[in-house]
Amino acid sequence: MNEIIEKAREIITSYDGPKVRIMEVCGTHTHEIFRLGIRSLLPENIDLISGPGCPVCVTQVGFIDEALYLALEKNCLITTFGDLIKVPGTEMNLAKARAKGANIRPVYSPDDAVNLAIENPDKDVVFLSVGFETTTPSSCLAVKRAKELGLNNFSILVANKSMPNAYQKLKGSADAFLYPGHVNAITGNGVCKQLKEEGVSGVVAGFTATELMTALAVTIEMLKKGEPFFVNCYPRVVKDEGSVFAQKLMDEVMELCDTEWRGLGMIEKSGLKLRSEYSDFDSRIKYNMPHIEGKPNPGCRCGEVLQGHCKPSDCPLFGKVCTPLHAVGACMVSDEGACSAFYQYAQ
Amino acid sequence: MENVITLAHGSGSIQTNELINGIFKSNFDNPDLTADDAAVLSLDEGKIAMSTDGFIVSPYEFPGGNIGKLAICGTVNDIACMGAKPKYLTCSYIIEEGFPVEELEKIAKSMGETARKAGVEIVAGDTKVAGKGQVDKIFITTTGVGNIVEGVNTSGAFAKPGDKIIVTGDIGRHGCTILLARNEFNIDADITSDCAPLWSNIEAVLKETKDIHVIRDATRGGVGTVLYEIAHQSNVGISLESEKIPVDPGVRGVCAMLGLEPLYLACEGRLVFFVPASEADKVLSALQSCENSEKAAIIGEVTEDNVGKVILNTAVGAKTLLSRPSGELLPRIC
Amino acid sequence: MCVGLPARVVSVNDGTAIIDANGAKRDVRAELLDDLEPGDYVMVHAGVAIAKISSDDEEEGSEVLGLLAI
Repeated sequence: MNEIIEKAREIITSYDGPKVRIMEVCGTHTHEIFRLGIRSLLPENIDLISGPGCPVCVTQVGFIDEALYLALEKNCLITTFGDLIKVPGTEMNLAKARAKGANIRPVYSPDDAVNLAIENPDKDVVFLSVGFETTTPSSCLAVKRAKELGLNNFSILVANKSMPNAYQKLKGSADAFLYPGHVNAITGNGVCKQLKEEGVSGVVAGFTATELMTALAVTIEMLKKGEPFFVNCYPRVVKDEGSVFAQKLMDEVMELCDTEWRGLGMIEKSGLKLRSEYSDFDSRIKYNMPHIEGKPNPGCRCGEVLQGHCKPSDCPLFGKVCTPLHAVGACMVSDEGACSAFYQYAQ
Repeated sequence: MENVITLAHGSGSIQTNELINGIFKSNFDNPDLTADDAAVLSLDEGKIAMSTDGFIVSPYEFPGGNIGKLAICGTVNDIACMGAKPKYLTCSYIIEEGFPVEELEKIAKSMGETARKAGVEIVAGDTKVAGKGQVDKIFITTTGVGNIVEGVNTSGAFAKPGDKIIVTGDIGRHGCTILLARNEFNIDADITSDCAPLWSNIEAVLKETKDIHVIRDATRGGVGTVLYEIAHQSNVGISLESEKIPVDPGVRGVCAMLGLEPLYLACEGRLVFFVPASEADKVLSALQSCENSEKAAIIGEVTEDNVGKVILNTAVGAKTLLSRPSGELLPRIC
Repeated sequence: MCVGLPARVVSVNDGTAIIDANGAKRDVRAELLDDLEPGDYVMVHAGVAIAKISSDDEEEGSEVLGLLAI
């Protein structure tokens, strides 16, 4: 344990003020907090809530159904981040579709999906484009490259989401937020500073043990002062202005639209879609996609779990029909999803 | 001989004989290799250990080995984990029509070399040729047997609270090597498989002490899966020091890139020992003096509480549950 | 939301760069960053270098915690 972690740990564990609720917005923060066991260090009066910042957790059932349609009905080669492969659709997930003969390939980068399209001119390659501002530029770069190359066998199924307007929905859920460092690396800190003016507090956090502990310690110290605050605790990566180039790129290729978040419902101007100049690369347009309404299991309470309104064990499906091996809700899909973690501890 | 395997090679004809004599017999050369329907052998008195394992690795050749070397190591190590000196092996091939003879020769050669190194004789075999597309190039199954060293009694059910847990080297290299060899993620790294026969390592330990509770070969599923198996089989908890687990920097880099956990990547030349605390130093120094286990390390201990769970002590001085992967390992962005 | 990989830039070539994380090397897109040079450290996500890294986390941590004292 380095000196900084020790110092931060001291600040966190000795907190004896009124109960505070801190929400980590980012799924990777959730992952690292779990992996480092940070929750076990917290005194009872610090509540650390996992927010909705995991593209898997907030992706609607209907999106998976759309991907299944392209895989099974249109025989597309589906390329995807590994995260989505086990996310349940209405009937099945992508792993099951693959077992039925669908062509599903995990990729590291959307650029690799473009390369697959180049190498396989006889296949229709679709990339499942999910993610927040951190990830969206990678999809935009891939689409631009495909356009420059004149590829006619590459398209993306877009479900990218944008954080700034989602914060409005989360506002009351916590006393302070750990903002997602890698989103802010792209967007800059403007939104967070604006939120501070509206009375919403938070710090930008990095992802190492030192960074997460530092960010929590700063949050605790600032909460003690009682004034709204914003602190950039990840200055080695996050600059105030963010990545101007990435912002321009996203604006050139995509535009904001209203979208539904699993668990949070419809949020205005929080989704992204391809601009009309790039419609040749929009899978929905290219394949005349019918409207597909996903049917989530009506018993699933992932949405409330995500907002900290109920415990996983309060869900009627938990541990019965919904387990890590047969996930019904998104919170059971990834190993450190709230329900999966809860299940593994309880076992 | 023709330069690719044809269905005739599997038909029991002259070509089959050519294949057996030209490739297998010459490479496996030993007095017990049978030309009859079965090998006739003798074993020492006492208990024996016997095991079988199938190998379908793709690609069949990778940095640090090939499917042949793997097929010997896998079965030899399984037997050795029971404290048995591997003595005889059989091997069965299923080869896809069109497989290059030259490649088969390479595979047989490394099987012969690895068997000699492990001190085991290949005494019988079988070759089938399957039509194009019915198998992926080449599958090998090996079965082995050996006498258990007197006084040794290991089992996954024998871990006791207080036992020290030793891993014989850096983890996850084989899984990482195969991941890179498939080239699906366009990552370059100088990583070779840890694939190795480990009887001599176990023999060195048994010379120091026979008071060993568990030895397990951490193959598919990696060290993490072995730890959960033992925690369940022995009804104990496991406490791991995350910073003491040896991981090659390159493996760490690849894992960081793809969001994978090295504890769940396969090894093919790593053992996990559970030994009484009093024996731990002896075992460790015996291992550290052997090839392929120079970097052996104590990574944790067995606890009475947290039965069936693996708990990690982390870099921030906290405890966390090692989460169990559900299904295949997938690269992630989140 | 976003796994980031800190990596060293090995070479830069026309909008792409080869990066090295502990010996794991890969081509990534580098258009988002100006004036990238071999030896720079970058944060990589989904095959794109998204930001330059200006110091290590301990240096950063002591700076950030230092601010609290004021």
